[in-house]
Amino acid sequence: MMNESITHTVTRRDLLASVAMAAGLIISYGVLGIQGLMFLLPERLRPRTRRLFAGQLDGYRAGGVQVFFDLSGNEILIRRAPAGLTAFDSTCPHLGCRVHWEEDQQRFFCPCHRGVFNPDGVGISGPPAAAGQSLAAVPVEVDEKSGVVYIEVKDIRKRRA
Amino acid sequence: MNRDPGLRQRLQEMVPFDWSLLRHIGSEPVPYHLKKWWFCLGGTVLYLFIIQVVTGIALTFYYVPSPDEAYASVAAITREVRFGWFIRSLHKWSAQFMIVAVILHMLRVYFTGAYRRPRQLNWCIGFLLLGTTMTFGFTGYSLVYEQLSFWGATVATNLAEAVPLVGPLLAYFLRGGAEVGENTLTRFYILHIGVLPTVAALLVGLHILLVRLHGVTELHFEGETVREDERHFAFWPEHGTTELMIGVLLMYLLTLTALIFPAGLGAPADPTVTPLHIKPEWYFYFNFRLLKLTSLRLSVVLTLAAGAVAFLWPFIEEWLSRRLKFPDALSVLLGTLAFLSFLVLTVWEAFAG
Amino acid sequence: MSLTVKRYVVAALSFLFLLALLLVAYQESRRFRQEAGLEPVVTVANRGCVDCHRKDGPALVMEWEFSRHAQLGVGCVDCHTAEKGDLDGWTHEGVLISALVTPKDCARCHAREHEEFSGSHHARAGEILASLDNVLAEKAAGMPGNIADAVNGCWQCHGSIVRFKRDLQGQILRVGKEAKPVIDPDTWPNSGMGRLNPDGSKGSCHACHSRHAFQASLSRSPENCGKCHMGPDHPQIEIYNESKHGIAFYANRGRMNLDKVGEWVLGRDYSAAPTCATCHISSYMTPQGVYTANSHDVGERISWTLRPVVSTKLNMVVYEDGFKEDFPDTRPLPTIGDLVETLEKVVENERLVSRKVSRRVARIVSWEDRRKVMKGACLNCHNDTYVDNFYKQFDDLVVLYNEKFAKPAQALMDELVADGILNSNAPFEHDVQWTFYELWHHEGRRARHGASMMGPDYTHWHGMYEVAKHFYVKFLPEVIEAAAAKGPAMKQKYEDRVKRLLGRDEHVWQKGLSPQEAEALRKMYEERYNQ
Repeated sequence: MMNESITHTVTRRDLLASVAMAAGLIISYGVLGIQGLMFLLPERLRPRTRRLFAGQLDGYRAGGVQVFFDLSGNEILIRRAPAGLTAFDSTCPHLGCRVHWEEDQQRFFCPCHRGVFNPDGVGISGPPAAAGQSLAAVPVEVDEKSGVVYIEVKDIRKRRA
Repeated sequence: MNRDPGLRQRLQEMVPFDWSLLRHIGSEPVPYHLKKWWFCLGGTVLYLFIIQVVTGIALTFYYVPSPDEAYASVAAITREVRFGWFIRSLHKWSAQFMIVAVILHMLRVYFTGAYRRPRQLNWCIGFLLLGTTMTFGFTGYSLVYEQLSFWGATVATNLAEAVPLVGPLLAYFLRGGAEVGENTLTRFYILHIGVLPTVAALLVGLHILLVRLHGVTELHFEGETVREDERHFAFWPEHGTTELMIGVLLMYLLTLTALIFPAGLGAPADPTVTPLHIKPEWYFYFNFRLLKLTSLRLSVVLTLAAGAVAFLWPFIEEWLSRRLKFPDALSVLLGTLAFLSFLVLTVWEAFAG
Repeated sequence: MSLTVKRYVVAALSFLFLLALLLVAYQESRRFRQEAGLEPVVTVANRGCVDCHRKDGPALVMEWEFSRHAQLGVGCVDCHTAEKGDLDGWTHEGVLISALVTPKDCARCHAREHEEFSGSHHARAGEILASLDNVLAEKAAGMPGNIADAVNGCWQCHGSIVRFKRDLQGQILRVGKEAKPVIDPDTWPNSGMGRLNPDGSKGSCHACHSRHAFQASLSRSPENCGKCHMGPDHPQIEIYNESKHGIAFYANRGRMNLDKVGEWVLGRDYSAAPTCATCHISSYMTPQGVYTANSHDVGERISWTLRPVVSTKLNMVVYEDGFKEDFPDTRPLPTIGDLVETLEKVVENERLVSRKVSRRVARIVSWEDRRKVMKGACLNCHNDTYVDNFYKQFDDLVVLYNEKFAKPAQALMDELVADGILNSNAPFEHDVQWTFYELWHHEGRRARHGASMMGPDYTHWHGMYEVAKHFYVKFLPEVIEAAAAKGPAMKQKYEDRVKRLLGRDEHVWQKGLSPQEAEALRKMYEERYNQ
């Protein structure tokens, strides 16, 4: 068995080659690493959304609220405001209780700690107001031609039952 | 290093290892013929194995080893997870490349006589590695739980039954029962991600260790003139850079293959519907064709017998050459015949449909 | 190679590898943008229905899951919900529903399509129930107590009047613990185009938009229309299959983009061939670079009516309430703002009755306007000379049929009625009545339809040839035969009539070709066939 070691003297040409090689390896494997990381991290940056049917415009009384559900089972409150339709997630930003619409008082009310939101979803009384919180808005869209209302909710991957 | 001699000393106390040993290992002189590509196949196999481990671990983050959900999880990886199709395709093609590389590596080792004394044991380890690799391929493919996964596993475990003496027990163990079912999938999964990687890692470690201990077989080719100072070159950086080259080349080829031939999905496994054509993966074609030509028992016995001879070949050849006049040419002939039979059977099965 | 070279090689290979990875990233982003097959959404309201019916009618649920409705969370209750007072409603497992989904229900979301459809001839398809065709089915082929021919035949395309079984007091019978209303089994199942529904609406959307998958590709395919638009009296699908349009379609089905979600525009989403829907309903690109809207009024682009004995051009009068009426060109057009007494057929007490309704004219669409809209589709592939010349060829054929055969035959029939030879209360008593019926209703229509959609064989051999042959060989002799039954005087009268008719230029050939024509004919056969 030979035990001699063979040594090299490093020249400038060698250095350039080494740098080129190192850079190439780091960048290419680095990109692979990033792709691998994206693979391991379930999508967070752009959560996919689903359009869901939410009634017809004609079915909404002026100032009235209808309740539809998103894919997680949360109630989405859709109100026909003078300016158009607005939709909110009924989950109270304070501690997650379910908010409901009070027609007579024209407000969204959370019974848990008596949080109150105005028709635009902004907290105006109780803990949410104190923390400057509002109800999460949900994108809502009306199809011009048919008057069908759609809400855009987060898509959750469900396995088939 | 002229930093903090105190620090170095303290590190040396914590890990009392002679680091200069590494430089010694790193500067192992590599025989000049390793500059030829034919001799880099072993490194290729190792590199592909590493890729399999990395991509395999990534896939286990999403794969579910239950008959109800396996297929759906593979579909989710292929269609929904970001770069899922890519990681899966890398894993699939790396497996294919690896088996090809293993076979070519074995051919190279055989036809350069590098299995001969004193390296017989390494040949045996290598052969076990061949078996491990093919088992990896088989169990891995079954995890997808497509029709062919299920029925291929059924056929293979039925074949196992025909192994003399231990057959039925072996089949029962593999299946986790009398029939391929949910126990089978979990067993194959554990084999594939736990047992086989451990075995492979140990064997590969031993394999490389033995190569290093024995030193790479020195070869002298007829009619070649090599200068004495060119007879060896340093492992690092020369050979190491060669290995890097091979690595990047493999990544490039694998990526292209994954792009052009991404891994797809067949119909999900249906235990009640047997597909008209059940075929194993191509590296088992030779076995399948043999099965069709003979009977179940005979084909299994023949395969096992051939395997045993191949496994013990260095010892057999030594014993034969001591008793008889056993020229090299005969070794070469036998090896050629063996490989050709494998090739013929494989190609025959491939085209017979 | 030397170490330095090796390093450069590694660098170069890394670069190639990087490029490949960038391709992978590109591929990944493209995959993202592709519209993935979205999974069905079962909302809380529909959960109960789906869970039970997944066992009790699994294929139905699977079809719904395949639909675009399911992707948007539109499910069972959204279509099947009934209102209090609906005749066909009942409380099923705690929910007030109706099995029957009518255009009114669909209109809750598809209002525009409903509006267009309800004014169309499709919606009125059920109104033939008081016509000669019905007489044939109920009387000629049917018997008292059993009109299964009408039920299984005519009504399945044209639509039934959906009726209920009633008790002696006239109340709807209800059975079971849910008090489900009992539908007259003769009238349901029925997905006829012009089905008359208990809620007053006309038509059936699922006649074309098969439930529960409601696949666009099915509705756009010609076979869909071919369920009804086929056969000896109006072989539209057979003609389409014969024509170059049909050939192009069947050869290029994969390029037709039939599954496209949303609008399906000729000249933008597909180009290989027109289907029935293309010309009669769907959107197409205009030279202005925009596309026309589609319309579920299938008659909007029709300029000739090929249905009656004598074809006429069709003008359309649109009234202020949206009611549409076709005015044959023989009928003088009103002006905008006029009050017109229209005749509308409605269902009262489960019977079809005619109602007079006074309506004000809002808009007039001439047959030329209607033809122009149709031509817009043609012009996507053909130039205007081509299209105009085609229309001339088509018009000429209709005129030929009208002038040579239809009008004289109609005139003779009118005379026979006037002379008391034929009893208009017994429309199929004599041979001549059957022959005349088939002359215009079957062969004559085949000829006209064949010309309208470029099916030459239907135009000629299945069409005008048979019209001509039966006119000469059967109809005219049968006229005389019918007259003879009323006495020798009538017989003589009609013999003379027929003789006069046959003396006209267009009929005189029967007695013999001119000598030149005969000679040319003989020579042709000798040269070509040696006979």
